[in-house]
Amino acid sequence: MHFDVFTIVALVSAAIAASILIWYLVARPALSRPVKLALLLGIGVFPIMTAGSGNYAGFAATKHRTFCGSCHVMTPYQMDVQDTDSKSLAAIHSRNQVFGDESCYTCHADYGMFGAISTKMAGMRHVYHYLLSYRNMPLATSRTDIHIRSEFRSEICKRCHTTTAPGWLSVPDHRGLRAELQSGEVTCLGSGCHGPAHPWSKVGRPGYDERGLPLEAP
Amino acid sequence: MTDKLNDKVAKKLNDKPNSKLLRLASVLTLAALALMVWSVLVPAPLPVMLAMSVGQVVGTAALGAYLWVVIRDVRGKGRTARASAAPPQGAPARHKDETP
Repeated sequence: MHFDVFTIVALVSAAIAASILIWYLVARPALSRPVKLALLLGIGVFPIMTAGSGNYAGFAATKHRTFCGSCHVMTPYQMDVQDTDSKSLAAIHSRNQVFGDESCYTCHADYGMFGAISTKMAGMRHVYHYLLSYRNMPLATSRTDIHIRSEFRSEICKRCHTTTAPGWLSVPDHRGLRAELQSGEVTCLGSGCHGPAHPWSKVGRPGYDERGLPLEAP
Repeated sequence: MTDKLNDKVAKKLNDKPNSKLLRLASVLTLAALALMVWSVLVPAPLPVMLAMSVGQVVGTAALGAYLWVVIRDVRGKGRTARASAAPPQGAPARHKDETP
């Protein structure tokens, strides 16, 4: 649990509301004006404060890596990015302070004005699939059977790697493939480039070699 | 169908005394608060989803019951005030266009 202002406001307002309501239920006072006002605080004002700050705290919690890893099929992904010796792209990025404890969300969230909402909608789909299909799936099976829904878009990489910085352009392959990258013909994680962010999860799948890197197209 | 259901709910709510409705609202609010606090203390998928769906619905229903009591109370007071201000029986009726 992460203690921040919203968490504290949610807990304190819930405690005040609960105290008022328990007093009303136990003492059963006559419905005078002060009692009605107290109930307005206990049923209206403080629960609304709890809901508002609690929802915000809940949304913030859904961005944390531990939240993503709480479904057992995601545990290996969480373990990998936390492994300081791991050389996977996901682990390297997770060691960056900008990504930090929210590395899953940072890379898998949609961009744009409604990005947070569309990401949460997609998250609900994940929960739906998990409850109906993957809940009892063994880890060994889930590693090869669970796929990312759609191809990882290079736009997400380009939020940080803008493709215009001198450091990025100093790599000959970057310079040579810049136009294809802009048009979407080539992706950062594609064959011959950086490969998948979680390569260990690709070992044993058709189209990938024993290191989890995509095989070159014939 | 919806009108029938609305009428049924309204009739049920009307039949309940204010104190009973407020006790029900209090219990519902406590249940919603419990779900919300659980999601804050244990931010795992199940509690967070329950708090954001069931918790919100139950809390809103409780607030709705409270507001219903308030509206009924205000209406009742208005009716009582009108009844006490009404002219005594046998007094000449005022024409609808007549200014008071």
